[in-house]
Amino acid sequence: MKIPPFLLLATLAFWGWQSGLLWVGVALGVALESSRFIKARFDLADEDFRRIWNLCIVLTLAVAAIVFTTNDEGGGGILSNPTVSNASNATVHTATTLLRWLPMTLFLFVAAQKFSERGLIPLSAISLVFKIRKRRGADSVWDRAVDVSYPYFIVCLFAAGFHANQETHTYFWGGFILLAWALWPARSRRFGIFIWLAALVLAVTLGYTGARGIGLLAQASQSFNVQFMQWMLRPKTDARQSITSMGRIGRLKLSPRIVIRLEPQNGSPAPTYLREATYRSYQSRDQAWQAGSAGNEFTEVSGETGGLNWILLPGVTNQSAARIACYLNGWSADLKVPEGLLPLPTGCSRLEKLPVVTPPKMNRTGAVLASGPGLVIFNARFGSGATFDSPPDAVTNLLDSSVPTNELPALDQVISEMKISGADEERKLQAVQSFFANKFTYSIWQGRDKLATTNETALAKFLLSSRSGHCEYFATATVLLLRELHIPARYAVGYAVHETSGKGYVVRERDAHAWCLAWDSREKIWKDFDTTPGSWIAAEEQRASAWQWLSDGWSWLRFQIAKFRWGQTNLRQYILWGLVPVIAVLLFQIIFRRRKRKATASDKDSAEKIFWPGLDSEFYQLETKLAARGVPRQTGEPLADWLERTLAEPALADLCAPLREILRLHYQHRFDPHGLDEAGRKRLAEKVRDCLEQLARL
Amino acid sequence: MPTTSFPAGRETYQKIAANIARIMRGQEAATRHLLATMAAGGHALLEDFPGTGKTTLAKALAKSIDAQFKRLQFTPDLLPSDILGVSVFSQRDQQFNFHEGPVFTNILLADEINRASPRTQSALLEAMGEAQVSVEGERRNLPALFFVIATQNPVEFRGTYPLPEAQMDRFAMQFTLGYVPAAEEVAILTAQEHNHPIDELKPVVSLADVVALKLAVEKIRISAELKRYVVDLVAATRTAAGVQLGASPRASIALMKIAQAEALFDGLEFVTPEQIQKLAVPVIAHRLVLDPQSRFSGLTARGVVEEAVKKLPVPA
Repeated sequence: MKIPPFLLLATLAFWGWQSGLLWVGVALGVALESSRFIKARFDLADEDFRRIWNLCIVLTLAVAAIVFTTNDEGGGGILSNPTVSNASNATVHTATTLLRWLPMTLFLFVAAQKFSERGLIPLSAISLVFKIRKRRGADSVWDRAVDVSYPYFIVCLFAAGFHANQETHTYFWGGFILLAWALWPARSRRFGIFIWLAALVLAVTLGYTGARGIGLLAQASQSFNVQFMQWMLRPKTDARQSITSMGRIGRLKLSPRIVIRLEPQNGSPAPTYLREATYRSYQSRDQAWQAGSAGNEFTEVSGETGGLNWILLPGVTNQSAARIACYLNGWSADLKVPEGLLPLPTGCSRLEKLPVVTPPKMNRTGAVLASGPGLVIFNARFGSGATFDSPPDAVTNLLDSSVPTNELPALDQVISEMKISGADEERKLQAVQSFFANKFTYSIWQGRDKLATTNETALAKFLLSSRSGHCEYFATATVLLLRELHIPARYAVGYAVHETSGKGYVVRERDAHAWCLAWDSREKIWKDFDTTPGSWIAAEEQRASAWQWLSDGWSWLRFQIAKFRWGQTNLRQYILWGLVPVIAVLLFQIIFRRRKRKATASDKDSAEKIFWPGLDSEFYQLETKLAARGVPRQTGEPLADWLERTLAEPALADLCAPLREILRLHYQHRFDPHGLDEAGRKRLAEKVRDCLEQLARL
Repeated sequence: MPTTSFPAGRETYQKIAANIARIMRGQEAATRHLLATMAAGGHALLEDFPGTGKTTLAKALAKSIDAQFKRLQFTPDLLPSDILGVSVFSQRDQQFNFHEGPVFTNILLADEINRASPRTQSALLEAMGEAQVSVEGERRNLPALFFVIATQNPVEFRGTYPLPEAQMDRFAMQFTLGYVPAAEEVAILTAQEHNHPIDELKPVVSLADVVALKLAVEKIRISAELKRYVVDLVAATRTAAGVQLGASPRASIALMKIAQAEALFDGLEFVTPEQIQKLAVPVIAHRLVLDPQSRFSGLTARGVVEEAVKKLPVPA
């Protein structure tokens, strides 16, 4: 079936219009349609088609490489650093551009068909299967040739779908008209035009609604999927409240999955804790810590010019720095990007090279919320001293000093046991520290015997009778004890950093930790105060599986993939430089192979020609001379016929007899397996010489 | 061109051709083709309109040679045994005696061969292909000269069975006689004014002369280059567009052998490209099977072969 005239021109123009390359589309279309008016054709063999096809593939690869590495939408070049705005969607951008440019990259192939003598493309040029089958067997099924106009039409229509303006319906209507145009010649003549049109409209409507439905479904599943994935990566920390697992029985199960990677910079020490959030008020009814909402909204962090450095604590210059890589485990519904709380070292003042889409936000209880790629890698500057938490104040109902009344009896009983009333701040802290160290044990197993009775709270049970628990018990008890001892304190959650790996540290999910921030009224700063027995790390590590190296390897791999996916690596820049030689080699191969083939082919031809006897005949000089007189010999014309044609010229009348004699000798020399004898050979040479002289005289 | 050193062979040809020319006016080319086919050991298929002299040509050839000639009119009810022969029980001898059919002869004229059923047509296959006949499990050889001249009528389709491809392939050559010019036709009328001249035709050569001619043809030389040209020419028809079935290697063999015969007739000791080119159409065309599509669009087997001859570079 022939494609209707000018359909390709219309489709290419439509594609150009939709993808903002109108003149390119029109130019391509005109070039293709000009084959209807230009009669010149190339005699392309199967091998030529195959070569053009390969060229198109290489071209597509090159386009992919360039698009992937340049990312023109973000304004960056090949050599610029990847920024989050373009990096995170580089893959999507590449795929879209590649598809959108397909009409251009495949143009050469279609043009080759349009301007070839055959007008068809042999399937063996495209498909390796066909090529092999054709080479193997003589079955003509594998020797088929196809018209690629319609496939190209579909590709153009498809490519036009990746247009910039998603909202308008021009694509839908344009596609409908072009499809109707394309299908028009193939319609069944049995039915009237209205039935045909109605069927077409029905099909398009069904297709439209179906596609819309699938689109919505895909959108829903995509957002669900991302949220799901984020949840898998790291337990999500809520900046507003933290529900502890105090009072529950069973084993606290946390996996050994690596969730944060940390590398101290410039020889600075590694931070002990990475804090995600702090909380102020304790709800003993559901064992939950809350940050307190009043005056604790997230506010934007001020940034430096360049958009990658953020200042948490103005006026503080810290020397210690650590490079932190962590996953953002939430999903920002507004920005449609992942977001999450950053795990930061105590006393963190500044975030550097943090790739985010909008400035990070912080609240007054030390949580920093960032939205950006699913994986962020940044430098955190930190040091002992001031933190960016708000100081304890009287404004917010003394939240940093209040203790739930139902916990008071147990706390008072413990304080009386410690016998420290009246001592100064430092002594109090020491007493609390030693109290927990001497009388409590770390346990992640909460048996039925540790279950609080209806009369007592979980914390009271821990403080008074069981005296064994995990970090949340210790941290909660410590915070409340300190408050009862008139030291403002807060409940902090985050991770403990202790496991080295190469030059840096890895933080696993089971390293999740809760501790206490105590207010140093002398220095006016918050200090980490951890009463959980140091054995907790050992206890956690005991549970490590023997196969942990395997999961660590997997985790590393996933980390690398995430780094690549979210553009946190320079790899993309190297891809181009890696692809350039590959493409160069491919191009060279395509051109070089042609030369080689040609060389071998001509070798074979000449070998065969040389093989035949009698090619040294002098007759050929005569032939050249006679042909120059205006009667050249045709490809399939035997010498005798040609000679008679030549001799029709009256001027050559005298030469008739000698020329026929020469031809006879020549034929004997050439085609008689016995050949000419010595005398005959001489005679031939002499006669030719005489004839040439006579001819020269004419 | 000089005379060849095989005067016996060439003389035989010239004698027969001259004798036939007395009857068949203006058919020198057809006569030459027919004789070349015979000399090369092939079989000829004459296809032309009724009344153009197919049968007369065959009869003239048969009469010119002092050889056995039989004529078989093919009809739809003709049976294989009518061609090959049949064993009949003899009451007197109390045994089966084989009665040879018309195929046991030197020259067999199979008139209107496409009128017989395919079964009967195929009875000729073995005889034509291998110069032998197997009847009732017994193999019987045919004489040294066995030459089948079949004729068929291209205009009639009703009640005919087109020859199957396998059988077409067994004919070394298919050619037409064609209408002669008006002057020649007048001469034909004049010659037949009183009686048919064919009745007066006398044999001019013996069977031994014809066998000698066949041996002489076998001695004509052909160079490797021309053999390659023959093969390329035949192969070109296999890859030509619109051809469903190309010519077989049997076509190459026939083309070479008849070219040898033609070279002898030309008085040459070796084959030249001209002979091969001139024979390409009558030797190859009838073996080709074209795509129905191409046939309807006007492609002919003759056209395919002519195109191949024109396109293939000829050795010079």
